[in-house]
Amino acid sequence: MKRRQRWSSLRVRLVVLLLGVVTVVWLGAALLTWYGARHELDELLDGHLAQAASLLIVQQARIHHDGDDDENPADAPSLHKYAPMVAFQVFQGDRLVMHSSNAGRAAMADLTSGFVTVDKPDGVQWRVFATRGDAQAQPGLQVYVGEQTASRGQILKAVLKNVLLPLLFALPLLALAALWAVGRGLLPLQQLGDTLRSRQPQAMEPIRLADLPDEMQPMVAALNALLEKIQAMVESERRFTADAAHELRTPIAAIRAQAQVAMGAGADSAQLAHALVYTLAGCDRATHLIEQLLTLARLDAARSLPSSSLDLAALVQRVAAELAPAALARGQTLELDASQACLVMGEEGLLSVLARNLMDNAIRYSPPGAAIHVAVRKPLDGILLSVEDSGPGMSAQDMARLGERFYRVLGNDQPGSGLGWSIVQRIAEVSGVQLKLAKSAALGGLHVTVTWPVN
Amino acid sequence: MRILLAEDDPLLGDGLQAGLRQQGFLTDWVRDGVAAERELASGVYDAAVLDLGLPYKDGFDVLAALRQQHVSTPILVLTARDAVPERIRGLNAGADDYVIKPVDLHELGARLRSLVRRAHGQVQDDLRSGNVLLEAATRRVLMGDALVTLSAREFDLLHALMRNAGRIMSREQLEQQLYSWGHEVESNAVEVHVHHLRRKLRPDLIQTVRGVGYSIAKGQA
Repeated sequence: MKRRQRWSSLRVRLVVLLLGVVTVVWLGAALLTWYGARHELDELLDGHLAQAASLLIVQQARIHHDGDDDENPADAPSLHKYAPMVAFQVFQGDRLVMHSSNAGRAAMADLTSGFVTVDKPDGVQWRVFATRGDAQAQPGLQVYVGEQTASRGQILKAVLKNVLLPLLFALPLLALAALWAVGRGLLPLQQLGDTLRSRQPQAMEPIRLADLPDEMQPMVAALNALLEKIQAMVESERRFTADAAHELRTPIAAIRAQAQVAMGAGADSAQLAHALVYTLAGCDRATHLIEQLLTLARLDAARSLPSSSLDLAALVQRVAAELAPAALARGQTLELDASQACLVMGEEGLLSVLARNLMDNAIRYSPPGAAIHVAVRKPLDGILLSVEDSGPGMSAQDMARLGERFYRVLGNDQPGSGLGWSIVQRIAEVSGVQLKLAKSAALGGLHVTVTWPVN
Repeated sequence: MRILLAEDDPLLGDGLQAGLRQQGFLTDWVRDGVAAERELASGVYDAAVLDLGLPYKDGFDVLAALRQQHVSTPILVLTARDAVPERIRGLNAGADDYVIKPVDLHELGARLRSLVRRAHGQVQDDLRSGNVLLEAATRRVLMGDALVTLSAREFDLLHALMRNAGRIMSREQLEQQLYSWGHEVESNAVEVHVHHLRRKLRPDLIQTVRGVGYSIAKGQA
């Protein structure tokens, strides 16, 4: 957990990545240096061996020429720290003429010319260059110049140390520098964080930061777009709550007024009865409004509801049976055409509310004696619920405003909440069905169609 | 007192009308803004109760239009909109009072009486002319210490004359104070009620100005 937290810091992550990359590059460079240096060193030192050998041959020729023929070859003195690691032998025929003290008396290698790497019995590895004197001038002259390979290794190690050692000191310094630089570079992020942290929860104005880097602009733009959306949502919720409270005030005011009239009616029993009936009607209306509000609130909370396959025709039949008495009471004819089972996907409770609202509206807003025709059909392009009536219908203007919460078409005496259509729209949205309003061709009133697309 | 009630909600409108009538107000009820403006412009009402959310014409627009036409009838705005900016807007638009739903009917009545009283420059609700005292809130009339029993119409007529004491009221003006819509106006109703008032109170209380109307002298204490 702690580890995750540490890694979740962008700053630490960047610094670690940066240092990792630097280390890898540095090590790579060291490796290349190693190979390059070894190669060059080999060539250089081999060159030196060859050079030394040719010097020995030349010198041997001069000695020979001078006639100084020493039977006992002298040991060359060791004059440098690397000298014990370098050895040479000069043979004339089988006779060892000259040698370094560390070379021994046996030939250093068994080849006569060229480079060879040999392992001596004492475990020391030597790089040996062998060459002969000129066949005519110095027949039988054989020179060996050898060098312990360990000396090359030491040189290489020294080279490598010089390459790698600075890294050891530089890395912590680099880490500090990177930490600072990354911190500076990420300052706009820090600023954004500070800005967001110091914000009030209600503050919805867009975030504005000076000198925003290009990389952060899409993020801040997305954040601002989100803020805007949230603000619109909060605003709409706030307006809805206010509207809802206001809408509830009117029925409550009506109940209060009617109750007070009933109290003051005295001996006027007709007025008393009238006021009491209206009081009850006011209660019913407030109840209806509250139910609609609750339905809407639940719908707003429900982003997706579990849906199942159900028979729309049967559902519409049930709802029609519930509403038929209301239609009969108004002398309206409610005709239902839903003989064929039509399976749709949806949540039964919601679809019942949808069907009830549509039919209830048709009954409520059509005059007494009107005709209401409800049908569930199965055309080729899906399944269709159609509710049409012979009522006054609606103007295009009213149709457009119908979805607004609490919008009620003027000039009707029906005590509606202005929420029914909002609920219908919301259910359609949640259930993924299409809603269409039109003038009824057959009956002349309003024609609402709900379409379930084929899937 | 004749009051115009502008309210689009059927249940509330019915309740307010019945409640105001119980308190002796002659109440006419309109259900939209256009009708409210038309009726108030006629000038026959002593005061109006105006809902803001009216169909066809918003209450604010009705107020503004009336004040533009110099209609000075006191208007009480009765609304569900309770935000302070709305109240300020309503009062600035020319409302004389701003009441939030739901309202107590007696409070509404008292506020209406107060509005009418102030519109006539009175300080008190009760009106006096000589030894005749009219109590508007309780709808009682006293002559000296004695309670005088008047019919509703007689009281309304006396109230109208005393509210406008010192001014001559025409027969038409008085008729409008006696009848709300749907009531048949009898041709000699005003004369009959004036006759009864003179008999029940004092013969010299109400002066007849021939060809013009009736008047009550401005209140001597």
